[in-house]
This record gives sequence, structure tokens and C-alpha cells, in this order.
Amino acid sequence: MTQVLTTSRQTMQSSNGTGPATTPILQVQNISKRFKAHGEQRSLQQTVINLLGRNRDRAAQNAFWPLRNISFDVYPGESVGLVGHNGSGKSTLLKLITGILEPTEGQIQVNGRLSSLLELGAGFHPDLTGRENIFLNGAIYGLSRKEMHARLGSIIDFAELHDFIDTPVKHYSSGMYVRLGFAVAIHAEPDLLLVDEVLAVGDAAFQHKCLDAIQAFRRRGGTLLMVSHDLGSIQNICNRAIWLEKGHMRIDGRPIDVAMHYLNRVAEGEKQAAKGTNLPALENGLRWGSGRVLLESVQICAENGAAQSVFKTGDEMVIRIRYRCQEPVEPPVIGLSIHHQSGAHICGPNTDFGELTLPAGQTAGEVTYRIPWLSLLPGAYQVTAAVVHRQTQEMYDYHDRAYAFRVYPGASHEQYGLVTLRGEWGSRSEGVKG
Amino acid sequence: MNLSSAFRLSPAQAMPAAYTHLRNLVAYRELIYYLVVRDLRARYKNSVLGFLWSLLNPLALMLVFTTVFTIMRPGHNIQNYPIYVLCGLLPWNYFAAGLLGSTNSIVAGAGLIKKVYFPREALPIAAVLSQLVNFLLAFVVLFVALVVFQSPWSAWLWLLPLVILMQTCFILGLSFILATINVFYRDVMMIIDVVILAWFFLTPVFYPISAVPATVNLLGFTLPLHRLMYVLNPMASLINAYRDILYWGYRTDLDFLVRTLITSLVILIFGYWFFQRYSGRFGEEL
Repeated sequence: MTQVLTTSRQTMQSSNGTGPATTPILQVQNISKRFKAHGEQRSLQQTVINLLGRNRDRAAQNAFWPLRNISFDVYPGESVGLVGHNGSGKSTLLKLITGILEPTEGQIQVNGRLSSLLELGAGFHPDLTGRENIFLNGAIYGLSRKEMHARLGSIIDFAELHDFIDTPVKHYSSGMYVRLGFAVAIHAEPDLLLVDEVLAVGDAAFQHKCLDAIQAFRRRGGTLLMVSHDLGSIQNICNRAIWLEKGHMRIDGRPIDVAMHYLNRVAEGEKQAAKGTNLPALENGLRWGSGRVLLESVQICAENGAAQSVFKTGDEMVIRIRYRCQEPVEPPVIGLSIHHQSGAHICGPNTDFGELTLPAGQTAGEVTYRIPWLSLLPGAYQVTAAVVHRQTQEMYDYHDRAYAFRVYPGASHEQYGLVTLRGEWGSRSEGVKG
Repeated sequence: MNLSSAFRLSPAQAMPAAYTHLRNLVAYRELIYYLVVRDLRARYKNSVLGFLWSLLNPLALMLVFTTVFTIMRPGHNIQNYPIYVLCGLLPWNYFAAGLLGSTNSIVAGAGLIKKVYFPREALPIAAVLSQLVNFLLAFVVLFVALVVFQSPWSAWLWLLPLVILMQTCFILGLSFILATINVFYRDVMMIIDVVILAWFFLTPVFYPISAVPATVNLLGFTLPLHRLMYVLNPMASLINAYRDILYWGYRTDLDFLVRTLITSLVILIFGYWFFQRYSGRFGEEL
């Protein structure tokens, strides 16, 4: 059931310049993990019953398998991203690889030193100072005192904690705590680094620093296995991605391919969810107006007309609005406005600006707003729809930010701001020497 | 926990696994060191006298027991009772505190166990070793008492480290077993207080064994009570050895010592094996 889209393993290994490596640094062989079902309470009575062997079948029925038959190898120098919904088993897989959990079936072999960023500063003791915690945490990663002494200065530099390194960490802010945790983990210089969503912590500057450190770790030939919901950062950092769904491996391949398959699945799922109609309720303040004209449905669709809530920059988007007039009115104006999740108002087109006059005297109808090339950059967006009297501005029906969609990286590589203006760069050389 | 499946590992499988575990543990010895430091630091934080409590505590206990025992048994003929009671009390405190601390160590370290991998036995070992540090500090009090009461120094004092090592093995072995069971059944922590108290009275810590009748008639059988107390209770044998060396200045009975050593080692090996068998499931159970 696993689809292997790898552009052949050889290409991926040779791409990092080390040539085809023979021994994988991580071998995951047919792993399955079983958790006891919730509510399977342990009591003395239960134990006695289990010992008598009566109750085994029931326990097996209640079992929950977060991972089923997972197999893959990771070779030195690779960096692999794990994607999947919440509950797909990504974190369980990382815990199995670290050794925190034991697989129910199958085998995992790690050929080298492993360090994990599952939770930063997990081993810190509040009463010890920053310096003492560096050594304690280093020991947890399996480093000797001598090795830690050699790294001490650079860890303190990285964590930017010069003035507080001899303060007990219980007095640290959460930011300082996390900085120190990351600094120790990255300086453990493992062969294999496991990262679980930790890049979402700290302020923007520190996140950048962490990303730089991870990139530097990769350049030194380190192997990376990371879990992230952010497909963008997986595409930036990883050269291979694995998609887990409900504990099964769906795809193992290039990040861009995995991302597209994954997004399609996300879109499908959201389409299913969107089938139940999503008109905002009158009570919650998101909808208001006189009600003489009602917006019956607002759908955000892909070019094929199917409702969708996930788009890529550069996709075609159609917003379809159905309305009904409760009494004869003059032709109304129907408008939209699109907001970024930050609140920034991006645009506010309406039928009037668009020089579309709706036919007079009708009782119901549909208008569409077609965007041939979506210039929004990745992020979450909200759509407001409204129908209004052309002259008096009487508001008939107003759906305040009631519809949402999400944009993922697509045709544009731009990263800053909200939109791409599709400008083009040019260059002209002058005064070339020689 | 299915205990019936616990006894199925063949020795051939067990040996290389045990070797890997031990090597792994050696690689993590610095972690144990830092965990001990952490324990000690945490114990004395916010106390004015700090580590002096390791000395004051046995001193205070010595005074209490001497007073109580002298009032209870005014005619007792134990010379230098303070030394007599210290020889029993210090090892007993090491035993009780080590057992309590290490039994809870895995559950108390849940935050760590669920987030990072390290050999799990580091936690109970560190808990016992931090009590060992305490125990060794308390010996200062005992030695001072020996000087003050002008008790003769025994030539057999060199046996002391061996006895301490034996006791440590015994405590570690029990700790491994109890700490493991405590993960699956927290009831252990509830029961252990009472068990330790009962055990305390069954061990000649503050009374001489002669205070107990040598034999007792039970259902028509004559049971050699003194002998049973020593055979069934390694702590009684251990305290007897401490007392022989430190109080009586006697070389202690060799067959006794060897038997206790074997008991301690068997318990340690079984405990370690038992711990290894279930430690993989700690991350899930906690």
C-alpha cells in the first residue's frame, strides 16, 4: 500500500556528495505498535482474570494500533520529513526510534548516536543552574563531562545566556529555557537528529537561528528526521518525505510529490467536511442584515467547480454565491472581501465595481467571482460575502468572515508579505573586467 | 502485567542482552553522577544547615533511641548503647530511605522517561547512591561516637566496605523489583511504608536479639526464632555484621557473611533482570 515515488535511492544519496552509502543509519523494519485501548483499567481483579487467560480476546479487540507495518531506511546525509495529520502516528514513530517506546512488532536499528528534540529542556532540573543543567542534559544525551566542557562556551553563546548561566533555571523565562534546551541538543552533535515540531517555539529571530543551526548540521553531513505540519519547511529542509496516514505509510518520496499528494488528501477531507452547509448562524454576530435579500450559499471552488478549501499560489479560484430575494427589490449589489488571518484586508471586489448588473425582478440567482491566477502567498484567509442595496446601502445580508481557505506554496517562491505581484527581475551587466 | 510470561527467556538469549545493557549503563555513568548530585542538591535546598543534616539527623536519632530505650528497659546491660544503636540505625536508615526513594524514582522521573531515552536503571541506581552518600557522611557521627566513648577500634574494620557493598547490592536488587512493580501498580508505594515499619521491628536494630525468646512454640512445632530471624531477614544479618565489626570488634562469622553476600547478589541479579524485562514498557505505562 506504500507508494514509493523515490527518484531512485541512488540519486538521492549521490546528491549529497557522499556517494552511495552502504549502511543505513536508521533501519525501521516492519514496525507495528499496539496501545492498550482507553479504559482498559488495570486492577487486581483484572490481572487475576487475565492470568487465568479468559479475557485475552477482549483485550485484543480493544487494542489500538497507532502504527502498522512501517518499513524504511535512512542513509547518512539524508534529511527526511514525516508528514501526516494529527494522530497519524508520526510522534509515536519518533518515540519508537528514540527508544522511549518499544515496538510491538518489528525491529528498529540505529547505527550511530542519536539525539532528539522531542521536547526542549525536558531533562532540566529547576533547582540546578543553567550550567549544571547543561552537563546533566549532556549526560542524558550520553556525552561525557569532558566533551561537554569542550562545548560549554559555544552552547552558552548559542543560547545567549551569558548573564544567567549560573542562575537556577526555575527563574528562566520560557524563551530562555527553550534556547538552552535547543543549544544543548544541537551541540550534542549526533549522527541522527530527531526533531518534532520544536521549530514552532521561541521568537522569530531564534527560530531563524535554529533553522540555520539545523542547516549547518546537515552541511556537516548529519542525518535528520523531522516531523512538521509545515509543508513549507519540510520542502526547504528535507530531501525526502514520508507521509503517514492512520498509522500506515502512504508515500515515501520527494518532498514536493509527497506535499502535493498530501494536500490533495487534505483538500478532499475538507471538501467532505464542507458538504454540510456552512451558512453562519444569525445569533453569533457573524451574520446580520435586513433579510430582504438572503445569501443562500457561498462556495469557494477550484477550477473544476468542486468546493475546496486548499489552494496553491497560482491556482484558479471561483467563488460562487447563490442569493434569493424575499420580496421584489431593485437589482442588489453583491460583494466579497478577503482578509488575511492577521486581519489585513486584501481586497473587496463587488458586482458594481465589476460592472455586472443583476437582472431586475428576479427571485433568485447565482453570481460567480473568478480569480484566474491566485496571487495570494501561503497562509490562511477568510472571505466575507454581502448583498447590499445599490443606492441606499441598506445591508440585506452580511456574512462576516464566514468562509475560509488556505494557501500553500505553489507557483511562486516568494515568502514575504501577502501577495505576489508577479513582477519579473532582470539584470544588465556593466563594466565587466577583463 | 502478565507475570506468567516473565519466566520464559532462555539463558542463551539473556546473556548477550545483559551484556549490552551493562555496557550501555557504563556509558551513562556520568548521568548517574549528575542525577545523584541533583538528588543531593534538591534534598538540602532551602535548608540553612544544608548537608550538616546528614550528620545531625543520626545524632538526633541516637539521642532519641538512647533515651527511650533507657527509660523502657532501665536494667539493660548494653554498654555504650548509643554506639550499639547507631550501628543498627545507620544501616537501617540507608536501607529504608534507599528503598523508598528508588521505588518511587521511575514514577517520579516520568517526565524524563517519556521525553528522552537513557538506560532507565539510572534512576533507581542514582536514588540508592544518593542515600549511600548520606550513609557514608553519617559514619562521621559514628566514628566520633567511637572516639568519645573510647570504644576499642577493631582490626576487622577493613571488612566494612565489603559489608556496605553487600548492603548496597541488596538494596539495589529490591529497588529494581519494587520500582518496576510500582510503575504498573502504584499500590506498592502505599504498602511499602507499613512493610518497612514492620520490618524495622522484626530486625534487631535498637534491641539485642536476646530480647526475643530463642525458640517459640507454634502449633506444636518448636521454631528456632533467632535463627529464623537471621536466615529470612538479610537486614538482620547485615546489621549483625556491622555490629560485629564496629561494636564488638569481632571478625563476624564468615559463613554468615558469605550467605548474606550470595543472597544479596542473587537478589541483585534477579532484580536487574526483572527491571530490564519490563523497563521497555515504562514509556507507555507512565
